[in-house]
Amino acid sequence: MLRTLKRNQKQAPTEVSKEPLLKLRDIHKTYIMGDQEVRALDGLDLDVYPGEFVAIMGPSGSGKSTLMHIIGCLDVPTEGSYYLDGVEVAEMDDYELARIRNQKIGFIFQGFNLLARTTALENVELPLLYGKKKDRTDRAIDALERVGLGDRLDHRPNELSGGQQQRVAIARAIASDPALLLADEPTGNLASQQSEEIMQIFQELNDEGRTVVMVTHEPDIGQHCKRIVHIRDGRVVDDEQVQERLIASEVLAQLKAEREQQQASRSPVPVS
Amino acid sequence: MNLLESMRVALRGLASNKMRTALTMLGIIIGVAVVILVVAIGQGAQKNVEDAVNSLGTNMLMIWPERSRVRLTAATHSSTSTNTTSTNSTSSSSAGGGGGGQSDNRLTLDDAKLIAQNFPKSIAAVAPQVRSNVQIRMGANNSTTSVIGATPDYPFVNNASVDRGRFISDYDINGSLKVAVCGTTIADKLTNDPTTDLTGQTISINNQDYTVVGMLAPKGAGAFGQDQDDIIIVPITTAMHRILNTPYISFMSVRCTTQKMMPLAQEEIADFLRARHHLQPPFPDNDDFNIRSQTELMARQESIATTMTSLLSAVAIISLIVGGIGIMNIMLVSVTERTREIGIRKAIGATPRDILLQFLIEASIISILGGIFGILLGIGCSNLMSSIAHWNTIVNPTAVVVALIVSAGVGLFFGIYPANKAAGLHPIDALRYE
Repeated sequence: MLRTLKRNQKQAPTEVSKEPLLKLRDIHKTYIMGDQEVRALDGLDLDVYPGEFVAIMGPSGSGKSTLMHIIGCLDVPTEGSYYLDGVEVAEMDDYELARIRNQKIGFIFQGFNLLARTTALENVELPLLYGKKKDRTDRAIDALERVGLGDRLDHRPNELSGGQQQRVAIARAIASDPALLLADEPTGNLASQQSEEIMQIFQELNDEGRTVVMVTHEPDIGQHCKRIVHIRDGRVVDDEQVQERLIASEVLAQLKAEREQQQASRSPVPVS
Repeated sequence: MNLLESMRVALRGLASNKMRTALTMLGIIIGVAVVILVVAIGQGAQKNVEDAVNSLGTNMLMIWPERSRVRLTAATHSSTSTNTTSTNSTSSSSAGGGGGGQSDNRLTLDDAKLIAQNFPKSIAAVAPQVRSNVQIRMGANNSTTSVIGATPDYPFVNNASVDRGRFISDYDINGSLKVAVCGTTIADKLTNDPTTDLTGQTISINNQDYTVVGMLAPKGAGAFGQDQDDIIIVPITTAMHRILNTPYISFMSVRCTTQKMMPLAQEEIADFLRARHHLQPPFPDNDDFNIRSQTELMARQESIATTMTSLLSAVAIISLIVGGIGIMNIMLVSVTERTREIGIRKAIGATPRDILLQFLIEASIISILGGIFGILLGIGCSNLMSSIAHWNTIVNPTAVVVALIVSAGVGLFFGIYPANKAAGLHPIDALRYE
């Protein structure tokens, strides 16, 4: 209760009136491993409102992956209720979950998870295919142009760099225009320059009004988000708004300037 | 996702591993091709038999000499002295004759003549024959063929006719003259042209010169695929005395007056021969001959053809099942190998049904495509068989349809288990799979 109040004070006033996009209440997830009971999530509450950009952080074993799976409708909680866009998903069957994943959620994975031997365009068309959408190719091309890969439509994943592959994955996630983008360590496999480029795309998408939830363990990546939720032992332990937010486009400009400066100082031999 | 899109996805899956797809398909291809080929050969053989029955007429009897089956047993029972004498005569006849490959020739030309004379009511004509393989030569051309010693009744009884010249006459028989009537294949062998008229020419049979007096009308392939035009007919006396040097005939064909008379004719001939050869009961165990109707022979041949067809079909079906197990095996490997892909597809919204369809369609495509290739291969092989080996083959449309349906069914049946396994994967486990 206190947290909610604190957040509401800091949040822009327009968002207070909205219904939360994600509403998790008292979520438990228990695994049986051998004869041991593992409580991955232990009474977790979380609200995410439309237009938010949330980083979920926590040490390994804290339950953040399990939380991602439940938010992403890849798994259902053992106990508790989860409303996604006003619909209870905790007790859905496989077919309903598949439909929700297809239409409400766009996934971005650490390992990109593109289909090998399949072009960028076909990869992006895939969710539209399962969603029985019309004009798939046009939508897919739009999505790829949106992430700056309009000239790489027929490239296969092995012909693209890691950053480009992740951008294809983002295009795939936004192709069916979902309510929520869900990213699991999206920069975990990327160099810092490429990470920054990916974060720039996420920030742009968020500026356009998309809700983004991201799991990360890198503090500087979390610093790009608007809100950071810390998890430990299957519970939310801290929930803060980001102060001194990093803006990716500025960071990139700074990196570029530094590089030019380095080159400039290196190439001409200073004469004293 | 609709069926058409599922098919596109499945096709792409198959195309990404062409070699494996082709090898898996091979099992089905071979199975289907063998089914088609076997049925085609079997049906062709059956058709030949039917044609032969129709062309020969149904009122034919064949009489073969045969060693009685229980003669040795009877001798050990110390029954009669007749048995001993007949055994003696057997050994002497095979020593002196050796005609036609028969072990025991007890039929003579007189037997045939008397049968023809004694039963005019039931028997229209009798054609005694001797057969042997001989060497023929004309000029520089050398070849082998079978020679038939025949009587003037042969064309009537055996449905043969003379195209040019004349057939064997009674005069030729009485004088054991060295004259011959040739089939068209003989003309082909000796002059390399089947249309050549050899009438008036002299050919050498086993180094004796014969004058060709006529040419037979072509008959084509016989019931068992043999070339019925590859024969030379000479007077039966000439064949017995000048070529084979035997007092016995190889067999005789008997044409009955009507089909209804056949049982009577069979009985009359049997009684007559038993009396004439002084045979002792029990009959038919002690008979030294064997009477068969043409239709009986054909029916037996046909049932052999049918048995062979079903036997080979069973083998072919087993190979289809083995092919199906191959499909299942490959699909299982494919599911394991593509676990991650399945996880990705599920994460972005594929339902279990979508995944099931994808793998089921893949299995079906392998088997249906395999089926189609197999049918084409089977038809190709059938045509090859008939053009190279001159076997009559008939590709049965029913067999083609059944083969296609069975192969599709094999794919579906053996695809269900792997596809189900794929559809039932949990998305998280599938995504984590390395």
